[in-house]
Amino acid sequence: MSEPAGAGHWVGAALPLKEDVRLVAGRGRFIDDLGRHGQLHAAFLRSPHAHARIVSVDTRAAAALPGVAAVLTGAEAARLSGPIRPLIPTTAAVSDYCLAVDRARYVGEPVAAVAAADRATAEDALEMIRVEYDPLPAVVDPEEALKPGATLLYPELGTNVVWHDTLTYGDVDGAMARADGLLRERFTIQRYASTPLETFGLIAAHDAGTDSFEFWTNDQRPGLTISILAASLGVPQSRIRLSCPDIGGGFGNKRRPAYLLICALLSRKAGRPVKWIEDRIENLTALMHACNGVIDVELGYRADGTLLALSVRDVTDEGKNLVTPSQHNLIKLGNIANGYRIPAIRYEAWSVLTTKCPSGANRGIGKPFMCFAIERSMALLARRLDLDPAELRLRNYVTADEMPYTTPPGAQYDSGDYPATLRRALGSFDYPGWRAEQARARREGRLLGIGIATSVEPAGTNLASYELLTGRRSVSGSAEAAMVRMEPDGQVRASIGDPSSGQGYETVIAQIVADELGLAPDAVAVARGFDSATTPWLYLSGNYSNKFSVTDVGAIVGAARRVADKLRRLAAHRLEIDPGDLELRDGAAVVRGSPDRRLTYPELARTAYADVLGLPPGEEPGLEARFAYQNPLAAPVDAQRRVRSQLVFSNAAHCCLVEVNPRTGVVKLLKYLVAHDCGREMNPLIVEGMVHGSTVHGIGAALLEEFRYDAQGQLLTSTFLDYLKPTATDVPAIEVERLEHPSPFTPLGAKGVGEGGAIPGPAAVANAVEDALTPFGVTIRSLPITPERVWRWMTPGAA
Amino acid sequence: MIEPAERLSIRLTINGRVVEREVSARRSLADFLREDLGLTGTHVGCEHGVCGACTVFVDGKSARSCLLFAVQLDGATVTTIEGLTPPEGLSPLQQAFCAAHAMQCGFCTPGMVVAATELLEKNPSPSTEEIREALGGQLCMCTGYVNIVRAVTEAAAARRGHAGVAE
Repeated sequence: MSEPAGAGHWVGAALPLKEDVRLVAGRGRFIDDLGRHGQLHAAFLRSPHAHARIVSVDTRAAAALPGVAAVLTGAEAARLSGPIRPLIPTTAAVSDYCLAVDRARYVGEPVAAVAAADRATAEDALEMIRVEYDPLPAVVDPEEALKPGATLLYPELGTNVVWHDTLTYGDVDGAMARADGLLRERFTIQRYASTPLETFGLIAAHDAGTDSFEFWTNDQRPGLTISILAASLGVPQSRIRLSCPDIGGGFGNKRRPAYLLICALLSRKAGRPVKWIEDRIENLTALMHACNGVIDVELGYRADGTLLALSVRDVTDEGKNLVTPSQHNLIKLGNIANGYRIPAIRYEAWSVLTTKCPSGANRGIGKPFMCFAIERSMALLARRLDLDPAELRLRNYVTADEMPYTTPPGAQYDSGDYPATLRRALGSFDYPGWRAEQARARREGRLLGIGIATSVEPAGTNLASYELLTGRRSVSGSAEAAMVRMEPDGQVRASIGDPSSGQGYETVIAQIVADELGLAPDAVAVARGFDSATTPWLYLSGNYSNKFSVTDVGAIVGAARRVADKLRRLAAHRLEIDPGDLELRDGAAVVRGSPDRRLTYPELARTAYADVLGLPPGEEPGLEARFAYQNPLAAPVDAQRRVRSQLVFSNAAHCCLVEVNPRTGVVKLLKYLVAHDCGREMNPLIVEGMVHGSTVHGIGAALLEEFRYDAQGQLLTSTFLDYLKPTATDVPAIEVERLEHPSPFTPLGAKGVGEGGAIPGPAAVANAVEDALTPFGVTIRSLPITPERVWRWMTPGAA
Repeated sequence: MIEPAERLSIRLTINGRVVEREVSARRSLADFLREDLGLTGTHVGCEHGVCGACTVFVDGKSARSCLLFAVQLDGATVTTIEGLTPPEGLSPLQQAFCAAHAMQCGFCTPGMVVAATELLEKNPSPSTEEIREALGGQLCMCTGYVNIVRAVTEAAAARRGHAGVAE
């Protein structure tokens, strides 16, 4: 599969998107646009306490309310369904059900549920449920949570720590001892999330006749979810069908099998389909936050700035995450070296439960914080050594001639030219020019700052890396499945186990198939979303981990090539020539050198489906192929505990210019430039859009967004009035420069781009603000950089 | 005093057609459009008036349909994304959105189109700052706004060019 694509030229073209035409007219089909005959609407009663024993739940009045069809309590849910199976079973010792049973462990945890004729009635009924709580102390600070004597979320575990380990690669202590200097810093990151504009939602329908369940949901990871649902509901997977419509953004957030289970149980109880759409407060309070946490960095360096060793101590606050605890740690470890050659690395980490919203996947999973810690350290080291921050980086990058380069923990940087990316960014940004302007401005009392941050961005997840966390292998590898079918009329249909949540798959998959089959993308209809009954899929299937380039492309290419081969065999048989003498182009199999000798796809499809006596002897009728592609880079953890947790690496350099208002502390972004290299860009229009969007996610985390909890574990920012997202007036036009070093390890040379700017963005903005505040001698160790904090830094005695 | 679940009759004009319905007093305009009339192009993103996904025209001005009760709209004229979309093809503004790939997941897009339509009706030659200001009440979580601003800029230029020819 390493050979280049066929004769086509569609891959690489900035083709306008097929799906945009319907989306711009409001003709998308999102989960809340769907309905089933006779459906009920669910509402969830959620815990008002961060931590409390549930003494009793009385649902009698709610059940008696006219319009209410079914009520479900935690105790009942634990009788009717099994515990939710974790993806990373570091906490397999405890059972977690779809509703809280005897204890609530975060504000917003569902305690009971109602299905009624409409949502308003269901919410009326919630007010009639009487729950007696016995409040327990909240566990809010992860460093407090891991101390002996801390209040425990699960007394049966004996600790709040679900994972703790020290991984050492190389002679860290020796290198630190030999270093000319050590930089020691402590950084913290807040909780935030990418908050897709469409909230989570679902319809669950139990069919009593067959005891089967059907689900429609915007769940991003259907393969994994189906297995969880089947196990908890106690039905074979063959009796679960799950479909995804258009998904209004995901960024990792859109998953919560518990909600699907609650509504499945309500549906079985009521004998009717049950719909539930998350409201925004539920979304911000209870769906999924990126972990907050604390990182202590120790960096050993030579006087010339050469990095010798890195030691990181990382405390990660999981909230009540029992599904993927320690995932943030694993992903940080994979990215710990950023783009630098660091010979010796130690990583000691704690994954800690607290009484907060479950953490989970959020654009970049842990990498934004890892990058923040490293890129802030590089800025501070440059300051300490009186080196330009760009120069310090250039002295330490892994270079193009070292590729593929393996970091001490085992990540393989496959391709790219990191120094070239930074130089491109500096040149396009006019870095020297703005440095001069900054000096002028400072003399006038203006606070201009320039920030640089660079990053590596991996793609694809190798699930074998979970063995590093759990000590045993239960899942492994990196794969996806797809189908390509030429219909009886010669038109093409394709589908894939990865439901798009805004990545333009209907267009880019059509481009790939068009090249393989020698026709126009317009002739290729790519199925919207996912349907487990018709879409090929694996446990690993889904829209996550930047994986399209690493696995999905291979699945599409593989399926398309099977159809292409068959088209050649059919045409060769009918034309009585060798298949090797045929090429596929312009919608036909054409004899090389004799363009008049050809069979069009409608003619060949007719043979395949209708006139089947015309098939070559032994050839199966039809023109449909499925293909599951496994990326060969995925490998088990080795004896030195090294692993490729992710597979191929893009890279980027961000340069930004900020001005701080000395009176108000408001940070204004004046200019923001991204130079990036994601290998071969299959559709530059899509790629550029993702670079813009991911960068603005990074800016939001840097300046605005924070899920802030008080000491009682109450979330103080649960609406978009207090959890602030970047608006069009908060951000400048993101300028983009592209480099293209194709990966040798993906089918078409493409690499990941979805997480992109979310990784270095927070560090770039922080570095710029700190640079602007040089006259005040400020060191930025945490985010978000709000006007209040900046004002305090600038105001003597105010801190 | 009207009870929340009490049903009231309303008559209003939606996308050029007169609609008469009985609705419960607590039905929002957004839910009325989506649930009762099947106009699902209007999206609901926050239900507290911040995100702008539910923006529609009410009597010629943009409004958050999640913050209005349907019963307040008796006698009003409402235009949704369905009303802004020509029967065949797309409007020039919508075409500009597609050309610039001014969307990704598409959930904010109908509200964006409404806000941009209002801007261009009031100000045919908006500056970049004016475009960003006019879209400042519309959240997009995917695009970083760059291509949306580009699309509105292009649409304004095309409109002026077209108008120039017509004059």
